[in-house]
Amino acid sequence: MYSLETRELTHRFSKNEIILKDISLQVTEGSIYGFLGPNGAGKTTTLRLVLGLLKKQAGIISFFGQPFNENRIGVLRKVGSLIESPSLYGHLTATENLSLLQKIYQCPKTRIQEVLNLVGLPDTGNKKASQFSLGMKQRLSIAVALLHSPALLILDEPTNGLDPNGIIDMRELLKKLNRDHGITIVISSHLLPEIEKLVTHVGIINKGKMMFQGTLSELKQKEQQSSVVIDTSDEAKAMQIIGNNGMAPEIRNGKITLPIMAKERIASVNRQLVNDGIEVYEMSIIKNDLEAIFMDLINN
Amino acid sequence: MTISFVNSLQSEWIKRKRSLASWLAIVGGFFTPSIIIVARIVHSDRLPALYEASGFWKLLWRNNWESMALFLLPIGVILATSLVTQMEYKNNTWKQLHTVPLSLTTIFFSKLVIILAMMLQFFLLFNIGIYLSAVIPYLLFPGVSYPKESIPFMWFLKENMYYFVDCLPIIALQYLISLRYKNFLIPIGAGFMLWVAALGSLSWKYGYVIPYTYSMFNFLKGEVVSKASVPAANIHWMAVGYFIAITGAGYVLYVTKKEKG
Repeated sequence: MYSLETRELTHRFSKNEIILKDISLQVTEGSIYGFLGPNGAGKTTTLRLVLGLLKKQAGIISFFGQPFNENRIGVLRKVGSLIESPSLYGHLTATENLSLLQKIYQCPKTRIQEVLNLVGLPDTGNKKASQFSLGMKQRLSIAVALLHSPALLILDEPTNGLDPNGIIDMRELLKKLNRDHGITIVISSHLLPEIEKLVTHVGIINKGKMMFQGTLSELKQKEQQSSVVIDTSDEAKAMQIIGNNGMAPEIRNGKITLPIMAKERIASVNRQLVNDGIEVYEMSIIKNDLEAIFMDLINN
Repeated sequence: MTISFVNSLQSEWIKRKRSLASWLAIVGGFFTPSIIIVARIVHSDRLPALYEASGFWKLLWRNNWESMALFLLPIGVILATSLVTQMEYKNNTWKQLHTVPLSLTTIFFSKLVIILAMMLQFFLLFNIGIYLSAVIPYLLFPGVSYPKESIPFMWFLKENMYYFVDCLPIIALQYLISLRYKNFLIPIGAGFMLWVAALGSLSWKYGYVIPYTYSMFNFLKGEVVSKASVPAANIHWMAVGYFIAITGAGYVLYVTKKEKG
């Protein structure tokens, strides 16, 4: 079963401005789903839509197999969220911020200290939220999202503003929540390296369209598809020579690109180009790592 | 009343702790009585005659309500109502509030009830302040005797109720505007303009159509000579009508808002 599923979610802010087009998310129960995309790709809009913060225009949203609109309150009891910047009452202490939600969720009062301990803020209960650093505010916001022991946690760029140690701590915390408490997590980010060590599943969005969705291992399979890049003085002639040798060259980013081949064959191509009077400025193997795959997906 | 509504009220009540709106209710409650106490201390020579005169309590009541009914109450209501809702914008917490398992109806009405409760708190403190403005000068100056007349509790209660009802349209309209706009200046500016319009229309025979005039008319109806055109119609029922209509409109606008955080 999917903890969160959307089908053909489409949203526009004005008649001519399509923000999301046919977004179909499938967040498997128990997974950590990395929702990736550059700034402005539509990540936050998608997450605001699924949480009901934006009015849905087209498509289907369901949580735990139940349509969201018909079961809003029941669904929200099982979902914790942090959308963009922290949502905290600055004039209240950390404990009071949690206490006002404890009244709504009617969870045990002891849960307040438990979640403060869990996010590494055990001795800050009486400090006003306005006096917290950004990192502490993010942690407290996670505590708020965890207070009612949700089955699904939706976090929109939770590492924004955190220092490297804070990012590592956050990653370990989320892994722990997923492993020890079985919480399904959706985490959005615009940085693949930041979450590739954390997620089990990945959805990549760009300009409002899903470019990829699957497990991390499925994404990594694309890693094998490395290539050879050649930069020459005469691309047209070089393409012809390489093509005559039974290879299928392509032009990408202004350079000739070939599928990966044996190093002896690469040397042979180089020799032939030089013998035919073409100057070879660059000949390199591009390893198609996750970062490159991500960039490739969002640039195409 | 459902359990979730009670839970939501408890949650909203925590939010008002140490907030500017709650301080406003406390300071506002004691502001005018403090001025009157100071004035009586300064003019202490007039106190013995004043405290022995008949109608002491009603005169004290009118002294306290004079600036309150015309200026401080409308302005205070405008500020406090706007501050309660703006707290969510300022702290970026609408998105948090709208993702808790509460219906939009519960959220809307629990916030409104908290504003009304804060108004009641203000009225209670103001009444205590009025009593203190009588007692403190009496305790400070040995020659001043305690007023012979008993406190007209029922009259005070009735007048309190009238003033409370009269400021309900202001609460409803300020609530509607401040839920609608993120910019704090919009509800404050609109409220201030309507208050000025209300002041300017007191002598107009149709001045009562402006919903911010009712606390002013309630005070001015007791004036012996008044330039105000106090309507013959029951302004309190008009205030209730406005309150229900504006609250209904505010509710519809709130639940149909496309962006909720």
